[in-house]
Amino acid sequence: MMVIRAFESGVASLKSKGSYGDLTYAYKGPAHLSIGQEAAAVGAAMALTPDDHIFGSHRSHGEFLAKGLAAIQRLGDNALTSIMEAHGDGALLRTVETHLPDETEHGLAESFLLLGLLAEMFMREIGFNGGMGGSMHAFFTPFGAYPNNAIVGASAGIATGAALWMKSDCRESIAVSMVGDGATGCGPVWEALNFAGMAQFERLWDNAGFLPVLFFFTNNFYAMGGQTSGETMSWDRLARVGAGLRDDAYHAETVDGTNPLAVADAVQRKRQVLLDGKGPAILDVECYRFSGHSTTDVNAYRTKDEIAAWGAVDPILTYRDSLVAEGILDTAAADAIQSEVEARMNAVFMAAADPEIAPPPRLGNDGAGIGRKMFAGSETPSDGHAPEPMSDPANVARIRQNARKSRGGRDANGELLSPLKAITLRDGLFEAILHAALTDPRVVIYGEECREWGGAFGVYRGLADLFPHDRVFNAPISEAAIVATAIGAAMEGGRPVVELMYADFIGRAGDELFNQLAKWQAMSNGLLSVPVVVRCSVGSKYGAQHSQDWSGLAAHVPGLKIIYPATPRDAKGLMASALASDDPVIVFESQRLYDRVELFQDEVPEGNYKIPFGAPDIKRAGNDVTVLTIGPTLYPALEAADSLAGHDVSLEIIDARSLVPFDYGPILDSVAKTGRLLLVSEACERGSFAMTLATNVTRFAFDALEAPPRVLGCPNWIVPGAGLEQGYFPQPFDIEDAILTDLMGVTGHDRKGSRRWDDLALARSGL
Amino acid sequence: MARVELRMPELGNEITEAMIDAFLKGAGDKVLEGEEIVTITTPKVTMDLEAPATGTVLEVLVEEDDIIAVGTVLAVIET
Repeated sequence: MMVIRAFESGVASLKSKGSYGDLTYAYKGPAHLSIGQEAAAVGAAMALTPDDHIFGSHRSHGEFLAKGLAAIQRLGDNALTSIMEAHGDGALLRTVETHLPDETEHGLAESFLLLGLLAEMFMREIGFNGGMGGSMHAFFTPFGAYPNNAIVGASAGIATGAALWMKSDCRESIAVSMVGDGATGCGPVWEALNFAGMAQFERLWDNAGFLPVLFFFTNNFYAMGGQTSGETMSWDRLARVGAGLRDDAYHAETVDGTNPLAVADAVQRKRQVLLDGKGPAILDVECYRFSGHSTTDVNAYRTKDEIAAWGAVDPILTYRDSLVAEGILDTAAADAIQSEVEARMNAVFMAAADPEIAPPPRLGNDGAGIGRKMFAGSETPSDGHAPEPMSDPANVARIRQNARKSRGGRDANGELLSPLKAITLRDGLFEAILHAALTDPRVVIYGEECREWGGAFGVYRGLADLFPHDRVFNAPISEAAIVATAIGAAMEGGRPVVELMYADFIGRAGDELFNQLAKWQAMSNGLLSVPVVVRCSVGSKYGAQHSQDWSGLAAHVPGLKIIYPATPRDAKGLMASALASDDPVIVFESQRLYDRVELFQDEVPEGNYKIPFGAPDIKRAGNDVTVLTIGPTLYPALEAADSLAGHDVSLEIIDARSLVPFDYGPILDSVAKTGRLLLVSEACERGSFAMTLATNVTRFAFDALEAPPRVLGCPNWIVPGAGLEQGYFPQPFDIEDAILTDLMGVTGHDRKGSRRWDDLALARSGL
Repeated sequence: MARVELRMPELGNEITEAMIDAFLKGAGDKVLEGEEIVTITTPKVTMDLEAPATGTVLEVLVEEDDIIAVGTVLAVIET
């Protein structure tokens, strides 16, 4: 507790005065301090092993330091040495040995912990996360300290996912969500609470037992400046949130968070409950933060009397007094500990701030170094064997039916085959996922209605006959929890494949996809990978909230790989790449394409194969106009090509296949030949990925262009329902109109489509 | 005595056809109303169709692996 207090007091001093001890330094980062809450952090850490993993909040310096110190105490010298040497090729350890020498391995490890955190806050290369995380995010997995999260409540779902994988992996450990009382106002926290105690864990899973996750709420009575109990929450006592959950109310109890021994006792008891499969558990740990929310907080929302009353039960003073009263410590020894802590802290602060000792990350003059951290770019094959399936795959109806199907899309006479007679895009996805599930024990598949139903669109039909619930299960209608748990499970070594049913539901998992899934590879400086495959179907006929192509929205967020296959062969090969990738991949699947059979290649290979990300594919060669299609627009483009061939206009059709990454090479080569480019997509035109492609092609092929590239997307409207879609999604005649009028300047062309809009006038009215 | 037809049902706008997987009952078999007679597969699901009435299967009009359109008569039951 004294170490945490000294550390945070140092940070507070730097923020407010620009100095601490012997150091003068302008610290520019955030400082969300937990001064006063030390007993909660230390008590929890005392009861946890290094194999138990904590997932904290933006206010987690104390929890991180406590967990680290507790792990150091439990680990032997050899283990500590190998952990410190392995991290960052030993750079942090060498800095500690040189500038903060200590006679013992444990002493070195303590300075390693402090310097690794402070250097991270100062955005230095030797920081635990290479300066990519900073104050609110710093973590170090070998000590069981997993990502701290600047999004309030986000750790609840991620910790639940970690517990999911701990359970699947039969580990003797628990995951701890360490968020504040304010997080009980966040929807994703409620989703995580429900997910962790789903009845199926007890009733349907072979390895019966609920998820070993402890929801540890550090309850300091304030969510920034709003008072939780009595103002912004409906509960009067936080522990009561358990009442809405299982009959055992998740064993919820309120704990005196000013007493480290009371907290340790409670965490130890809950930990055993979790290991027995009887969790999850909730702890409402009441404590107080003397410091403001951040250093700009002037405490306008609380009185001096209130702060003074809590000051009387300052955990450090009361614990020290009790040790002295019991004769365990005398005041001289207590003062000596204080001096020792302050001396070490002074040295750590001096070292962390010194750019000679702790230089900033080497990112290159152009800053491109951060770019190199965004993706793992690797594949890590499984080193384990998947358990035998529950039945012989050859006896599963779906697989038997597929075996009778033609691998190509046409019969001997060139006639198109029924989707019941030929492998479809749906089957291609199924085959890639089946292969992964049969061969890779890390693969776990879930989402709404994934099991008996086989997914809302039948991609998974047959999997429930082969795999038990720990491999394929139905999730609640909780998109945030579905994605958050996948992230947590992936951080622990799993390979989740999750389904969001409709791309429109991305909004329900917005933070999880855009702030969490996309960012932890880079924010961890490569300490963690997040190999999650997220499947989203793109609908039609169901109107504005079930038909949106949000592929461009996803492509806008750095850190996600995005694929949008349009043929069975591409779907199978790209899905195989997604399943093998160490990076997160969002797969867009058009519902209108699930029944498409293979038209472009002789067949969809039976065995597993991969198609690399980022390789646009020429689906039809031509000379006059290049048409770059995204997703299902490939097919209307083919119709337009057939029609225009009658007018001696030859189209070269290129299917983007991936949005991120993307190789412009084939497009630029094609435009060099044709001089004209039409980009077709089902996303709204404004801010779409097609616009990005058009901009870059204009820049890099300007001299070759006979006309400006034309983007043909959807109008900036809601998607209309069935019957009205022809005026919304690009049709073959719209493509013909755009080519003949805008790109080829054919005079007197009789437009067949309705798109005669003045785009500049529409823009002025917000359309 | 009446003749009742078992037809390929409407399964939503998306589904226009299905494939016959297997007949669970053949001509001459006695069936109860609600008893499963035939297994069909659409692109999305495999499902069993039930006898619309109690009686004897008079004739089966399709074969396994046939692709049948919505509304096709699959079998006739004599009550």
